[in-house]
Amino acid sequence: MKKTLLSFLSSLRLTIALLIIIAVASILGTVIPQQYGGGEAFRHLSPGLVKAFRSLQLFDMYHSVWFIILMGLLSLNLITCSLNRFPTSWKLFRKIPSLNRGKPFENLSPDSVLVIEGKPHEVIGRVENLLKKRYKRVRKKDIANSTVFYGEKGTYSHFGVYVIHLSILIIIAGAIIGSLLGFNAFVNIAEGESTNTVHLGRQKGMKKLDFTVRCDKFSIAFYKNGMPKEYRSNLSFLKDNNVIFQGPLLVNHPITVNDIRFYQASYGTIPGHQVYLTIKKGNDEEIIRKVRLKDSFYLKEKNAKLTILRIEENLMSMGPAVLINIQSPEGTMRFWAFKHIEKIKDRIPGLFKKVPKFNPGLFKPYYFTLNRIENKYYTGLQLSRDPGVSTVAIGSFFIIIGFFITFFSSHKRLWVRVDEQEGKSRISVAATSNKDPVGLKREIEHLLRHFSYMRG
Amino acid sequence: MIINTTILSWVTFIYFGSAIFYIFRMVTGREFWGSFASIIAFTGLIAQTVGLILRWFESYKMGIGHAPLSNLYESLIFFAWTIVLLYLIVEWRIKSRNLGAFVIPFAFLSMAYASFSPNVNSRIQPLIPALQSNWLISHVITCFFGYAAFTIACGLGFMYLLKGLGKDEDSSPFFRLIPGREVLDELTYHSIVIGFIFLTLGIITGSVWAYSAWGSYWSWDPKETWSLITWFIYAAMLHSRFVRGWRGKKMAIMSLIGFASVLFTYFGVNYLPGLHSYF
Repeated sequence: MKKTLLSFLSSLRLTIALLIIIAVASILGTVIPQQYGGGEAFRHLSPGLVKAFRSLQLFDMYHSVWFIILMGLLSLNLITCSLNRFPTSWKLFRKIPSLNRGKPFENLSPDSVLVIEGKPHEVIGRVENLLKKRYKRVRKKDIANSTVFYGEKGTYSHFGVYVIHLSILIIIAGAIIGSLLGFNAFVNIAEGESTNTVHLGRQKGMKKLDFTVRCDKFSIAFYKNGMPKEYRSNLSFLKDNNVIFQGPLLVNHPITVNDIRFYQASYGTIPGHQVYLTIKKGNDEEIIRKVRLKDSFYLKEKNAKLTILRIEENLMSMGPAVLINIQSPEGTMRFWAFKHIEKIKDRIPGLFKKVPKFNPGLFKPYYFTLNRIENKYYTGLQLSRDPGVSTVAIGSFFIIIGFFITFFSSHKRLWVRVDEQEGKSRISVAATSNKDPVGLKREIEHLLRHFSYMRG
Repeated sequence: MIINTTILSWVTFIYFGSAIFYIFRMVTGREFWGSFASIIAFTGLIAQTVGLILRWFESYKMGIGHAPLSNLYESLIFFAWTIVLLYLIVEWRIKSRNLGAFVIPFAFLSMAYASFSPNVNSRIQPLIPALQSNWLISHVITCFFGYAAFTIACGLGFMYLLKGLGKDEDSSPFFRLIPGREVLDELTYHSIVIGFIFLTLGIITGSVWAYSAWGSYWSWDPKETWSLITWFIYAAMLHSRFVRGWRGKKMAIMSLIGFASVLFTYFGVNYLPGLHSYF
């Protein structure tokens, strides 16, 4: 039972099956929108289906229990089959074949035989030197009337596949470290504001940082054709009211503070605390005045103090408006100044009678309209701390090394026999390789060419 | 029309001509057409290289200098370039023109799509902030050399399956000129190894880039996911060859499946929501 389980776990069939299942599951994940909790998908799917998808964690599939189990199985499969095969590779690596056989030289093609001037005893030393220069573990044995050499190279090629598999496990380990010990979060900060709490991504909830982030300014630069050229947040990082780091954050140029990396992820606008008010007094020219929220200014002629109490981006679906408070010797009054008052008036006849508070001319002889609300930007920051990154990087580096060992090296074993033929030396070369027959042929040709330069 | 796009649209016709002559060679069995096809393909490659360099220069003249690897048009052109370059290297190494008729048409199709599709904008555009990275060049180059190697493997797979249709003693030059099954199999394997290494490098350079741009080296973005799926397919293929000794027809079919996945990674993903939206 134990044995069958082990052989199942280490089988190639399981590998292929897992690769296919993970691939199909991943395809599903690229089709079903992956959002925390489902989000938009509600609108297109029936409630029953949404419930089913949710219970299968299909909206956050790549982090679902079953996907992690699949990945775990793949790792287990990698480990068991590597352990299973390793002893064989080790034996191949250690083994030095016996020289006492003529077998390698049976059925040797005439291309692999060379006859050169000089008696064998004159040639052998040079053959040995050449082989020692090019091959490892060169051994020599005199058999009957001939001398046989053995040499090899590329023994390490047996281990390439383990390097690859180990690298994949290292990468997976790095991913696990990252997901257990790291975090992902985001936060929007308006210009001029600061925060030390951020929204966690997958784990949900909030996280308090041990420092404060302030967005001093956000700006966008455009190319001539209107495409965005640069998103820039000028950020300050503060601890106990001391700036510990200050600098611009750009896309592709994250900032790292206390091991947490900050990324420029998005931006947006929110109504700011400043408005432009158009003021018309009787038949005078209009004037436009900039006022901050809660700030006041005086209308001297009437000895009145005007204060902006509220700024609304869209009041009762009638567009932007500000609530004005006027304090004068005649008393205090409050009314709204809209941006699109003319249109609203046309749409709702008798509006000012019904709702006197919407009358922009309530405080005679003045007439107030909202020119515009000055928006301000907020910057959308992504934060992450991932202690697994260096592990993943090491794995990625070694996987490439492993590829080169596996695909571009091979264990070549050579047998060279020198014997006498009609007063000259006959050199026969036989070779085997665990892969790459073309390379082996080239190796033999190369060696023979070297031998042919030797003269006795 | 700007000079570089003019050159590049001419290259489309050059590759078309080359493909036609390679096919002509297969049908008539006369090597004369083959050498003609090779010369044309090589000329096309030179012209295309010049076109790409001019485009690079032009972008600098416009004050928005960047390598011509930044949108669908440029990637299609580069794809064709890598296919032809890799193909000519293979042709030179194996000293045989037999693959040309099955590979060069892919380069032509990619060029034609870039040059004539109304959906593909050939204008030089500035780089949006997300693409302003030193990793752009290495990421795109590694990915497309991978794609090109897989394209060659796909052409070889086609040849293998076609060979199966003809009788062994078939005397028509077409079937005679398709190399033997073992040679095809060996070449397919080598192409896939090259493609697999480049794809892996492409994924690695991509994750390094993502780590500095998106906040995570892996976000399960559809393109990332599909590149992983493609990686799995070729990994499965290499394993079945190494461990099970799969050869021949099975490998030919797998190389077609793998290429379908490559195409989806390249084009299909654009129809799915994700972060790679600019390609």
